[in-house]
Amino acid sequence: MSIQTTGTDLLTIEGLGHVYQGAQPFEAIGKLDFTVPEGAFVSIVGPSGCGKTTMLRCLSGLMKPTRGEVRLEGEPVTGVPRDLALVFQDYSRSLFPWRTVAGNIAYVLPRNLPKAERAARIQESLDAVGLGEAGAKYPWQLSGGMQQRVAIARALAYRPAILLMDEPFASVDAQTRAELEDLMLAVRKQFGMTILFVTHDIDESIYLADRVLVLSKSPSTIVESLDIDLPYPRDQVSTRELEDFVHLRSHVARLIRDQSMKGRPAV
Amino acid sequence: MTTGRTDPVNLGTSVDTVSLATPSRPTRRRSAKGSRRLQDFAVRWGALLAIGLVWELAARLANNLFFPPPSRIVERFFELWFSGPPSTFFLTESVATNILPSLSRLLGGWAAAVVFGVLLGVAIGRSKVVGDFVEPIIHFVRAIPPPALIPVFFILLGFGNEMRVTLIAFAVIWPVVLNTIDGVRSVEQLHLDTGRVFEFDWRKRFFGIVLPSASPKIFAGMRVALSVAIIMMVISEMVGRPDGIGNIILGAQRTYRMVDMWAGILLLGILGYVLNAILSAVETRITRWHRGSREGVS
Repeated sequence: MSIQTTGTDLLTIEGLGHVYQGAQPFEAIGKLDFTVPEGAFVSIVGPSGCGKTTMLRCLSGLMKPTRGEVRLEGEPVTGVPRDLALVFQDYSRSLFPWRTVAGNIAYVLPRNLPKAERAARIQESLDAVGLGEAGAKYPWQLSGGMQQRVAIARALAYRPAILLMDEPFASVDAQTRAELEDLMLAVRKQFGMTILFVTHDIDESIYLADRVLVLSKSPSTIVESLDIDLPYPRDQVSTRELEDFVHLRSHVARLIRDQSMKGRPAV
Repeated sequence: MTTGRTDPVNLGTSVDTVSLATPSRPTRRRSAKGSRRLQDFAVRWGALLAIGLVWELAARLANNLFFPPPSRIVERFFELWFSGPPSTFFLTESVATNILPSLSRLLGGWAAAVVFGVLLGVAIGRSKVVGDFVEPIIHFVRAIPPPALIPVFFILLGFGNEMRVTLIAFAVIWPVVLNTIDGVRSVEQLHLDTGRVFEFDWRKRFFGIVLPSASPKIFAGMRVALSVAIIMMVISEMVGRPDGIGNIILGAQRTYRMVDMWAGILLLGILGYVLNAILSAVETRITRWHRGSREGVS
Protein backbone atom coordinates (compact mmCIF):
# COMPACT_ATOMS: atom_id res chain seq x y z
CA MET A 1 0.00 0.00 0.00
CA SER A 2 1.10 3.53 -0.52
CA ILE A 3 0.54 6.52 1.68
CA GLN A 4 -1.86 9.05 0.29
CA THR A 5 -1.21 12.74 0.37
CA THR A 6 -4.02 15.13 -0.41
CA GLY A 7 -1.82 17.22 -2.60
CA THR A 8 -2.52 20.49 -0.79
CA ASP A 9 0.53 22.13 0.74
CA LEU A 10 0.56 22.23 4.51
CA LEU A 11 3.85 24.04 4.92
CA THR A 12 5.16 26.54 2.40
CA ILE A 13 8.63 28.04 2.53
CA GLU A 14 9.34 30.98 0.24
CA GLY A 15 12.69 32.65 -0.18
CA LEU A 16 13.80 31.74 3.35
CA GLY A 17 17.21 33.07 4.31
CA HIS A 18 19.03 33.77 7.54
CA VAL A 19 22.14 35.71 8.41
CA TYR A 20 23.55 35.65 11.95
CA GLN A 21 24.52 39.21 12.80
CA GLY A 22 27.65 39.96 14.72
CA ALA A 23 31.23 41.07 14.27
CA GLN A 24 31.53 38.55 11.45
CA PRO A 25 28.06 38.08 9.94
CA PHE A 26 27.45 34.47 8.99
CA GLU A 27 24.98 33.52 6.30
CA ALA A 28 23.56 30.20 7.46
CA ILE A 29 20.72 29.91 4.96
CA GLY A 30 21.00 31.27 1.43
CA LYS A 31 17.60 30.83 -0.15
CA LEU A 32 15.16 28.03 0.44
CA ASP A 33 11.94 27.39 -1.48
CA PHE A 34 9.98 24.23 -0.90
CA THR A 35 6.62 22.90 0.22
CA VAL A 36 5.52 20.03 2.41
CA PRO A 37 2.24 18.51 1.18
CA GLU A 38 -0.32 17.41 3.73
CA GLY A 39 0.30 13.84 4.85
CA ALA A 40 3.80 13.69 3.37
CA PHE A 41 7.00 12.50 5.00
CA VAL A 42 9.73 14.83 3.80
CA SER A 43 13.29 14.42 4.92
CA ILE A 44 16.05 16.93 4.60
CA VAL A 45 19.60 15.74 4.36
CA GLY A 46 22.80 17.68 3.91
CA PRO A 47 26.49 17.84 4.75
CA SER A 48 27.39 18.73 8.31
CA GLY A 49 27.20 22.45 8.97
CA CYS A 50 24.52 23.06 6.38
CA GLY A 51 22.33 25.15 8.64
CA LYS A 52 19.76 22.42 9.29
CA THR A 53 19.11 23.45 12.87
CA THR A 54 18.86 27.12 11.90
CA MET A 55 16.36 26.19 9.23
CA LEU A 56 14.21 24.18 11.65
CA ARG A 57 14.23 26.98 14.20
CA CYS A 58 13.02 29.37 11.51
CA LEU A 59 10.37 26.95 10.25
CA SER A 60 9.03 26.32 13.73
CA GLY A 61 8.82 30.00 14.61
CA LEU A 62 11.41 29.75 17.41
CA MET A 63 13.58 32.16 15.45
CA LYS A 64 12.74 34.97 13.04
CA PRO A 65 14.46 34.50 9.67
CA THR A 66 16.24 37.44 8.07
CA ARG A 67 14.36 37.04 4.80
CA GLY A 68 11.51 35.10 3.33
CA GLU A 69 8.32 33.67 4.66
CA VAL A 70 7.06 30.44 6.20
CA ARG A 71 3.36 29.66 5.95
CA LEU A 72 1.54 26.88 7.78
CA GLU A 73 -1.93 26.12 6.44
CA GLY A 74 -1.75 29.42 4.58
CA GLU A 75 -1.02 31.46 7.72
CA PRO A 76 2.37 33.19 8.03
CA VAL A 77 4.40 31.72 10.91
CA THR A 78 5.40 34.38 13.41
CA GLY A 79 5.47 32.58 16.77
CA VAL A 80 5.34 28.82 17.20
CA PRO A 81 1.96 27.82 15.68
CA ARG A 82 -0.46 25.60 17.57
CA ASP A 83 -0.49 23.02 14.78
CA LEU A 84 3.22 22.42 14.90
CA ALA A 85 5.39 20.37 17.23
CA LEU A 86 9.13 19.95 17.26
CA VAL A 87 11.12 16.96 18.52
CA PHE A 88 14.65 17.96 19.48
CA GLN A 89 17.78 15.92 19.11
CA ASP A 90 18.72 16.37 22.75
CA TYR A 91 15.85 14.51 24.41
CA SER A 92 17.50 14.51 27.84
CA ARG A 93 17.37 18.30 28.01
CA SER A 94 13.98 18.59 26.38
CA LEU A 95 12.04 16.30 28.70
CA PHE A 96 11.30 17.71 32.15
CA PRO A 97 13.23 15.60 34.67
CA TRP A 98 10.97 16.74 37.52
CA ARG A 99 7.91 15.16 35.90
CA THR A 100 7.13 11.53 35.29
CA VAL A 101 6.76 10.24 31.76
CA ALA A 102 2.99 10.60 31.96
CA GLY A 103 3.42 13.98 33.65
CA ASN A 104 5.62 15.21 30.81
CA ILE A 105 2.91 14.33 28.33
CA ALA A 106 0.05 15.64 30.48
CA TYR A 107 1.75 19.02 30.85
CA VAL A 108 1.58 19.86 27.13
CA LEU A 109 -2.13 19.05 26.88
CA PRO A 110 -4.62 21.92 27.05
CA ARG A 111 -5.80 22.74 30.57
CA ASN A 112 -9.48 22.42 29.71
CA LEU A 113 -9.23 18.87 28.38
CA PRO A 114 -11.62 16.56 30.29
CA LYS A 115 -9.86 14.21 32.69
CA ALA A 116 -10.90 11.01 30.95
CA GLU A 117 -9.76 12.23 27.56
CA ARG A 118 -6.51 13.45 29.03
CA ALA A 119 -5.76 10.00 30.43
CA ALA A 120 -6.84 8.34 27.18
CA ARG A 121 -4.56 10.54 25.10
CA ILE A 122 -1.58 9.92 27.34
CA GLN A 123 -2.15 6.17 27.18
CA GLU A 124 -2.72 6.18 23.43
CA SER A 125 0.47 8.06 22.67
CA LEU A 126 2.52 5.96 25.10
CA ASP A 127 1.12 2.79 23.54
CA ALA A 128 1.97 4.12 20.09
CA VAL A 129 5.65 4.38 21.02
CA GLY A 130 5.63 1.06 22.89
CA LEU A 131 5.95 2.55 26.36
CA GLY A 132 2.47 1.78 27.66
CA GLU A 133 3.81 0.63 31.03
CA ALA A 134 6.33 3.39 31.66
CA GLY A 135 3.99 6.26 32.54
CA ALA A 136 4.90 6.37 36.22
CA LYS A 137 8.65 6.36 35.63
CA TYR A 138 10.86 9.41 35.42
CA PRO A 139 12.66 10.14 32.12
CA TRP A 140 16.07 9.73 33.74
CA GLN A 141 15.16 6.19 34.74
CA LEU A 142 14.88 5.26 31.05
CA SER A 143 17.50 4.54 28.37
CA GLY A 144 18.28 7.15 25.70
CA GLY A 145 16.14 5.49 23.05
CA MET A 146 13.22 5.24 25.44
CA GLN A 147 13.58 8.89 26.40
CA GLN A 148 13.35 9.90 22.75
CA ARG A 149 10.23 7.71 22.49
CA VAL A 150 8.74 9.70 25.36
CA ALA A 151 9.56 12.95 23.55
CA ILE A 152 7.83 11.57 20.44
CA ALA A 153 4.82 10.44 22.48
CA ARG A 154 4.60 13.91 24.00
CA ALA A 155 4.52 15.46 20.53
CA LEU A 156 1.90 12.94 19.36
CA ALA A 157 -0.38 13.64 22.31
CA TYR A 158 -0.25 17.32 21.44
CA ARG A 159 -1.91 16.42 18.10
CA PRO A 160 -0.04 18.76 15.77
CA ALA A 161 -0.83 18.85 12.04
CA ILE A 162 2.89 18.75 11.31
CA LEU A 163 5.76 17.27 13.25
CA LEU A 164 9.27 18.65 12.77
CA MET A 165 12.14 16.47 13.89
CA ASP A 166 15.68 17.74 14.34
CA GLU A 167 18.09 14.81 13.94
CA PRO A 168 16.06 12.93 16.53
CA PHE A 169 17.99 9.67 16.36
CA ALA A 170 21.50 11.09 16.13
CA SER A 171 22.47 10.14 19.66
CA VAL A 172 21.14 6.60 19.96
CA ASP A 173 22.85 3.35 18.95
CA ALA A 174 22.28 1.72 15.54
CA GLN A 175 19.93 -0.97 16.80
CA THR A 176 17.71 1.52 18.62
CA ARG A 177 17.87 3.81 15.63
CA ALA A 178 16.41 1.17 13.32
CA GLU A 179 13.63 0.51 15.84
CA LEU A 180 12.83 4.19 16.11
CA GLU A 181 12.76 4.59 12.34
CA ASP A 182 10.16 1.86 12.04
CA LEU A 183 8.32 3.42 14.95
CA MET A 184 8.09 6.70 13.01
CA LEU A 185 6.65 4.91 9.97
CA ALA A 186 4.06 3.17 12.15
CA VAL A 187 3.18 6.35 14.03
CA ARG A 188 2.80 8.27 10.80
CA LYS A 189 0.37 5.67 9.51
CA GLN A 190 -1.60 5.54 12.77
CA PHE A 191 -1.91 9.30 13.23
CA GLY A 192 -1.86 10.36 9.57
CA MET A 193 0.65 13.02 10.43
CA THR A 194 2.74 15.22 8.18
CA ILE A 195 6.41 14.94 9.09
CA LEU A 196 9.46 17.01 8.21
CA PHE A 197 12.51 15.06 9.26
CA VAL A 198 16.00 16.54 9.34
CA THR A 199 18.93 14.15 9.43
CA HIS A 200 22.53 13.81 8.32
CA ASP A 201 22.08 10.08 7.67
CA ILE A 202 21.49 9.44 3.94
CA ASP A 203 20.04 5.93 4.38
CA GLU A 204 17.66 7.13 7.03
CA SER A 205 16.44 10.04 4.92
CA ILE A 206 15.57 7.75 2.01
CA TYR A 207 14.22 4.87 4.08
CA LEU A 208 11.66 7.04 5.86
CA ALA A 209 10.51 9.57 3.29
CA ASP A 210 8.32 10.18 0.26
CA ARG A 211 10.54 13.05 -0.70
CA VAL A 212 14.15 13.88 0.10
CA LEU A 213 15.54 17.41 -0.09
CA VAL A 214 19.31 17.60 -0.39
CA LEU A 215 20.82 20.77 1.03
CA SER A 216 24.08 22.45 0.15
CA LYS A 217 26.63 23.71 2.63
CA SER A 218 25.98 27.10 4.27
CA PRO A 219 24.62 29.40 2.96
CA SER A 220 22.26 26.55 2.26
CA THR A 221 20.08 26.12 -0.79
CA ILE A 222 18.27 23.06 -2.08
CA VAL A 223 20.52 21.12 -4.43
CA GLU A 224 17.94 18.59 -5.46
CA SER A 225 14.49 17.38 -4.54
CA LEU A 226 13.95 13.65 -5.01
CA ASP A 227 10.64 11.84 -4.95
CA ILE A 228 11.02 8.44 -3.32
CA ASP A 229 8.80 5.78 -4.84
CA LEU A 230 9.88 2.87 -2.69
CA PRO A 231 6.96 0.59 -1.81
CA TYR A 232 5.27 0.52 1.62
CA PRO A 233 5.40 -1.14 4.08
CA ARG A 234 9.10 -0.52 4.30
CA ASP A 235 11.40 -3.05 5.87
CA GLN A 236 14.81 -2.50 7.42
CA VAL A 237 16.32 -5.37 5.43
CA SER A 238 14.40 -5.84 2.19
CA THR A 239 13.75 -2.14 1.43
CA ARG A 240 17.42 -1.35 1.85
CA GLU A 241 18.45 -4.04 -0.64
CA LEU A 242 16.09 -2.84 -3.40
CA GLU A 243 17.88 -1.65 -6.49
CA ASP A 244 16.04 1.68 -6.37
CA PHE A 245 17.13 2.25 -2.79
CA VAL A 246 20.75 1.55 -3.59
CA HIS A 247 20.65 3.91 -6.57
CA LEU A 248 19.00 6.66 -4.60
CA ARG A 249 21.51 6.30 -1.82
CA SER A 250 24.44 6.52 -4.22
CA HIS A 251 22.91 9.51 -5.92
CA VAL A 252 22.34 11.42 -2.68
CA ALA A 253 25.74 10.44 -1.34
CA ARG A 254 27.37 11.79 -4.48
CA LEU A 255 25.46 15.07 -4.22
CA ILE A 256 26.50 15.49 -0.61
CA ARG A 257 30.11 14.58 -1.30
CA ASP A 258 30.23 17.13 -4.09
CA GLN A 259 28.84 19.68 -1.68
CA SER A 260 31.35 19.06 1.05
CA MET A 261 34.26 18.93 -1.43
CA LYS A 262 33.33 22.34 -2.78
CA GLY A 263 36.04 24.91 -2.22
CA ARG A 264 38.51 22.28 -1.09
CA PRO A 265 41.62 21.53 -3.15
CA ALA A 266 41.41 18.31 -5.14
CA VAL A 267 43.29 15.36 -3.62
CA MET B 1 24.12 19.69 93.68
CA THR B 2 22.89 16.71 95.67
CA THR B 3 19.98 15.93 93.38
CA GLY B 4 22.29 16.07 90.39
CA ARG B 5 24.09 12.91 91.49
CA THR B 6 21.59 10.49 90.03
CA ASP B 7 20.98 12.54 86.93
CA PRO B 8 23.77 11.32 84.67
CA VAL B 9 22.37 7.83 84.98
CA ASN B 10 18.87 9.05 84.19
CA LEU B 11 20.16 11.08 81.31
CA GLY B 12 22.01 8.10 79.95
CA THR B 13 19.15 5.67 80.15
CA SER B 14 16.58 8.08 78.84
CA VAL B 15 18.65 8.85 75.75
CA ASP B 16 19.26 5.14 75.27
CA THR B 17 15.64 4.12 75.39
CA VAL B 18 14.33 7.03 73.38
CA SER B 19 16.91 6.96 70.64
CA LEU B 20 17.54 3.28 70.16
CA ALA B 21 13.98 2.02 70.31
CA THR B 22 12.95 3.40 66.93
CA PRO B 23 15.71 2.20 64.61
CA SER B 24 15.90 -1.25 66.23
CA ARG B 25 12.43 -2.12 64.92
CA PRO B 26 13.21 -1.96 61.19
CA THR B 27 16.44 -3.82 61.98
CA ARG B 28 14.53 -6.98 62.58
CA ARG B 29 12.81 -6.75 59.23
CA ARG B 30 15.67 -5.72 56.96
CA SER B 31 18.67 -6.94 58.88
CA ALA B 32 21.64 -6.01 56.64
CA LYS B 33 20.58 -2.48 55.80
CA GLY B 34 18.98 -2.00 59.19
CA SER B 35 22.00 -3.01 61.20
CA ARG B 36 24.18 -0.60 59.26
CA ARG B 37 21.75 2.16 59.93
CA LEU B 38 21.66 1.17 63.58
CA GLN B 39 25.44 1.32 63.63
CA ASP B 40 25.48 4.81 62.09
CA PHE B 41 22.86 5.87 64.55
CA ALA B 42 24.78 4.45 67.52
CA VAL B 43 28.00 6.15 66.43
CA ARG B 44 26.30 9.49 65.95
CA TRP B 45 24.41 9.54 69.21
CA GLY B 46 27.16 7.71 71.06
CA ALA B 47 29.56 10.57 70.28
CA LEU B 48 27.02 13.11 71.49
CA LEU B 49 26.48 11.09 74.65
CA ALA B 50 30.24 10.85 75.26
CA ILE B 51 30.68 14.61 74.90
CA GLY B 52 27.74 15.10 77.25
CA LEU B 53 29.35 12.84 79.83
CA VAL B 54 32.71 14.58 79.61
CA TRP B 55 31.02 17.96 79.91
CA GLU B 56 29.01 16.70 82.90
CA LEU B 57 32.13 15.45 84.62
CA ALA B 58 34.12 18.60 83.90
CA ALA B 59 31.28 20.85 85.04
CA ARG B 60 30.93 18.93 88.28
CA LEU B 61 34.64 19.03 89.00
CA ALA B 62 34.90 22.73 88.16
CA ASN B 63 31.76 23.56 90.15
CA ASN B 64 31.52 26.94 88.44
CA LEU B 65 28.39 29.08 88.74
CA PHE B 66 28.50 29.99 85.05
CA PHE B 67 28.90 26.45 83.79
CA PRO B 68 26.32 24.19 85.42
CA PRO B 69 26.37 20.45 84.59
CA PRO B 70 24.26 19.52 81.53
CA SER B 71 22.06 17.23 83.59
CA ARG B 72 20.77 20.22 85.48
CA ILE B 73 20.29 22.17 82.27
CA VAL B 74 18.23 19.35 80.77
CA GLU B 75 16.23 19.03 83.96
CA ARG B 76 15.51 22.76 83.97
CA PHE B 77 14.71 22.62 80.26
CA PHE B 78 11.89 20.15 80.90
CA GLU B 79 10.78 22.02 84.00
CA LEU B 80 10.48 25.30 82.13
CA TRP B 81 8.68 24.12 79.02
CA PHE B 82 7.54 20.52 79.28
CA SER B 83 6.10 20.14 82.76
CA GLY B 84 2.59 21.42 82.01
CA PRO B 85 -0.71 19.63 82.52
CA PRO B 86 -1.71 16.78 80.16
CA SER B 87 -4.49 18.97 78.72
CA THR B 88 -1.88 21.13 76.99
CA PHE B 89 0.24 18.15 75.93
CA PHE B 90 2.54 18.83 78.94
CA LEU B 91 3.58 22.17 77.54
CA THR B 92 3.89 24.94 80.08
CA GLU B 93 2.43 28.40 79.84
CA SER B 94 5.85 29.74 79.03
CA VAL B 95 5.72 27.88 75.72
CA ALA B 96 2.76 30.03 74.68
CA THR B 97 4.19 33.28 76.01
CA ASN B 98 7.81 32.84 74.96
CA ILE B 99 8.44 30.07 72.46
CA LEU B 100 5.40 30.51 70.24
CA PRO B 101 5.94 34.24 69.59
CA SER B 102 9.59 33.53 68.81
CA LEU B 103 8.70 30.68 66.52
CA SER B 104 6.02 32.63 64.70
CA ARG B 105 8.23 35.65 64.06
CA LEU B 106 11.04 33.36 62.97
CA LEU B 107 8.85 31.45 60.52
CA GLY B 108 6.93 34.57 59.49
CA GLY B 109 10.06 36.54 58.67
CA TRP B 110 11.61 33.57 56.93
CA ALA B 111 8.49 32.76 54.89
CA ALA B 112 8.07 36.38 53.81
CA ALA B 113 11.73 36.46 52.79
CA VAL B 114 11.33 33.24 50.79
CA VAL B 115 8.25 34.48 48.91
CA PHE B 116 9.61 37.94 48.13
CA GLY B 117 13.12 36.64 47.64
CA VAL B 118 12.03 34.12 45.02
CA LEU B 119 9.91 36.72 43.21
CA LEU B 120 12.72 39.27 43.23
CA GLY B 121 15.26 36.64 42.22
CA VAL B 122 13.14 35.48 39.30
CA ALA B 123 12.60 39.06 38.13
CA ILE B 124 16.31 39.82 38.29
CA GLY B 125 17.42 36.50 36.85
CA ARG B 126 14.97 36.42 33.95
CA SER B 127 15.05 40.06 32.93
CA LYS B 128 18.28 41.67 31.86
CA VAL B 129 16.89 45.16 32.38
CA VAL B 130 15.78 44.55 35.96
CA GLY B 131 19.02 42.69 36.62
CA ASP B 132 21.23 45.51 35.39
CA PHE B 133 19.38 48.06 37.51
CA VAL B 134 18.83 46.14 40.69
CA GLU B 135 21.77 43.77 41.05
CA PRO B 136 24.41 46.36 42.08
CA ILE B 137 21.97 47.77 44.64
CA ILE B 138 21.37 44.31 46.04
CA HIS B 139 25.05 43.58 46.40
CA PHE B 140 25.46 46.83 48.30
CA VAL B 141 22.46 46.42 50.58
CA ARG B 142 23.23 42.84 51.47
CA ALA B 143 26.72 43.84 52.54
CA ILE B 144 25.24 45.83 55.43
CA PRO B 145 25.22 43.70 58.59
CA PRO B 146 21.49 43.55 59.47
CA PRO B 147 21.95 44.20 63.22
CA ALA B 148 23.36 47.60 62.26
CA LEU B 149 19.91 48.46 60.99
CA ILE B 150 18.16 47.73 64.29
CA PRO B 151 18.13 51.44 65.28
CA VAL B 152 16.59 52.31 61.91
CA PHE B 153 13.92 49.66 62.33
CA PHE B 154 13.26 50.95 65.90
CA ILE B 155 12.45 54.35 64.47
CA LEU B 156 10.38 53.03 61.59
CA LEU B 157 8.58 50.11 63.19
CA GLY B 158 8.77 50.48 66.96
CA PHE B 159 9.99 47.95 69.51
CA GLY B 160 7.61 45.09 68.95
CA ASN B 161 6.82 42.30 66.60
CA GLU B 162 6.78 44.24 63.31
CA MET B 163 10.33 45.39 63.88
CA ARG B 164 11.47 41.84 64.59
CA VAL B 165 9.74 40.13 61.70
CA THR B 166 10.99 42.82 59.32
CA LEU B 167 14.52 42.56 60.65
CA ILE B 168 14.52 38.77 60.19
CA ALA B 169 13.01 39.02 56.71
CA PHE B 170 15.47 41.71 55.70
CA ALA B 171 18.45 39.72 56.90
CA VAL B 172 17.51 36.41 55.32
CA ILE B 173 16.10 37.53 51.99
CA TRP B 174 19.56 37.86 50.38
CA PRO B 175 20.62 34.21 50.27
CA VAL B 176 17.19 33.42 48.80
CA VAL B 177 17.45 36.19 46.18
CA LEU B 178 21.00 35.35 45.13
CA ASN B 179 20.35 31.62 44.91
CA THR B 180 17.15 32.18 42.96
CA ILE B 181 18.98 34.43 40.48
CA ASP B 182 21.60 31.75 40.06
CA GLY B 183 18.92 29.07 39.71
CA VAL B 184 16.75 30.80 37.11
CA ARG B 185 19.77 31.79 35.06
CA SER B 186 20.75 28.15 34.73
CA VAL B 187 17.39 27.06 33.29
CA GLU B 188 18.00 24.91 30.20
CA GLN B 189 17.34 26.88 27.01
CA LEU B 190 15.97 23.70 25.47
CA HIS B 191 13.36 23.43 28.24
CA LEU B 192 12.22 26.97 27.45
CA ASP B 193 12.17 26.19 23.72
CA THR B 194 10.11 23.10 24.50
CA GLY B 195 7.72 25.34 26.39
CA ARG B 196 7.45 27.63 23.39
CA VAL B 197 6.83 24.74 21.01
CA PHE B 198 3.95 23.54 23.16
CA GLU B 199 2.64 27.07 23.65
CA PHE B 200 3.03 27.34 27.42
CA ASP B 201 1.53 30.51 28.87
CA TRP B 202 3.52 32.45 31.47
CA ARG B 203 1.98 30.48 34.31
CA LYS B 204 3.00 27.14 32.83
CA ARG B 205 6.42 28.51 32.01
CA PHE B 206 6.95 29.85 35.51
CA PHE B 207 5.52 26.98 37.57
CA GLY B 208 6.36 24.24 35.07
CA ILE B 209 9.87 25.15 33.95
CA VAL B 210 11.54 28.08 35.72
CA LEU B 211 10.59 27.26 39.30
CA PRO B 212 11.30 23.50 39.17
CA SER B 213 14.62 24.10 37.36
CA ALA B 214 15.68 26.58 40.02
CA SER B 215 14.27 24.65 42.97
CA PRO B 216 17.49 22.86 44.01
CA LYS B 217 19.28 26.22 44.22
CA ILE B 218 16.31 27.90 45.88
CA PHE B 219 16.22 25.23 48.56
CA ALA B 220 19.91 25.73 49.23
CA GLY B 221 19.17 29.42 49.75
CA MET B 222 16.22 28.64 51.99
CA ARG B 223 18.40 26.50 54.23
CA VAL B 224 21.02 29.22 54.65
CA ALA B 225 18.20 31.69 55.24
CA LEU B 226 16.73 29.51 57.98
CA SER B 227 19.93 29.36 59.98
CA VAL B 228 20.42 33.13 59.65
CA ALA B 229 16.76 33.64 60.63
CA ILE B 230 17.34 31.94 63.98
CA ILE B 231 20.35 34.17 64.65
CA MET B 232 18.36 37.28 63.76
CA MET B 233 15.41 36.16 65.87
CA VAL B 234 17.63 35.91 68.96
CA ILE B 235 19.33 39.23 68.29
CA SER B 236 16.01 40.99 67.69
CA GLU B 237 14.64 39.62 70.96
CA MET B 238 17.58 40.87 72.97
CA VAL B 239 16.49 44.42 72.22
CA GLY B 240 13.16 46.19 72.41
CA ARG B 241 10.09 44.91 74.23
CA PRO B 242 11.05 41.92 76.42
CA ASP B 243 9.63 38.64 75.21
CA GLY B 244 10.77 35.57 73.33
CA ILE B 245 13.58 33.07 73.72
CA GLY B 246 16.31 35.64 73.17
CA ASN B 247 14.91 37.68 76.01
CA ILE B 248 14.80 34.63 78.30
CA ILE B 249 18.49 34.04 77.71
CA LEU B 250 19.48 37.64 78.22
CA GLY B 251 17.20 38.10 81.23
CA ALA B 252 18.49 34.94 82.88
CA GLN B 253 22.08 35.98 82.37
CA ARG B 254 21.43 39.45 83.83
CA THR B 255 19.87 37.94 86.97
CA TYR B 256 22.47 35.22 87.36
CA ARG B 257 20.03 32.39 86.59
CA MET B 258 22.70 30.50 84.68
CA VAL B 259 20.78 27.23 84.40
CA ASP B 260 17.87 29.07 82.79
CA MET B 261 20.23 30.77 80.39
CA TRP B 262 21.74 27.47 79.32
CA ALA B 263 18.29 25.90 79.04
CA GLY B 264 17.37 28.68 76.60
CA ILE B 265 20.52 28.05 74.59
CA LEU B 266 19.70 24.33 74.52
CA LEU B 267 16.19 25.16 73.30
CA LEU B 268 17.61 27.24 70.45
CA GLY B 269 19.89 24.43 69.43
CA ILE B 270 17.05 21.92 69.37
CA LEU B 271 14.80 24.35 67.52
CA GLY B 272 17.37 24.95 64.82
CA TYR B 273 18.07 21.26 64.47
CA VAL B 274 14.41 20.28 64.18
CA LEU B 275 13.50 23.06 61.72
CA ASN B 276 16.46 22.22 59.53
CA ALA B 277 15.59 18.53 59.61
CA ILE B 278 12.02 19.29 58.51
CA LEU B 279 13.21 21.53 55.67
CA SER B 280 15.74 18.94 54.54
CA ALA B 281 13.04 16.27 54.45
CA VAL B 282 10.79 18.49 52.32
CA GLU B 283 13.72 19.38 50.07
CA THR B 284 14.69 15.75 49.54
CA ARG B 285 11.13 14.93 48.56
CA ILE B 286 10.63 17.81 46.16
CA THR B 287 14.03 17.73 44.47
CA ARG B 288 14.39 13.95 44.31
CA TRP B 289 14.46 14.21 40.50
CA HIS B 290 17.53 16.41 40.69
CA ARG B 291 19.71 13.80 42.31
CA GLY B 292 18.17 11.04 40.19
CA SER B 293 18.72 12.82 36.89
CA ARG B 294 22.29 13.74 37.73
CA GLU B 295 23.25 10.22 38.72
CA GLY B 296 21.59 8.92 35.56
CA VAL B 297 20.49 5.38 34.94
CA SER B 298 21.16 4.61 31.30
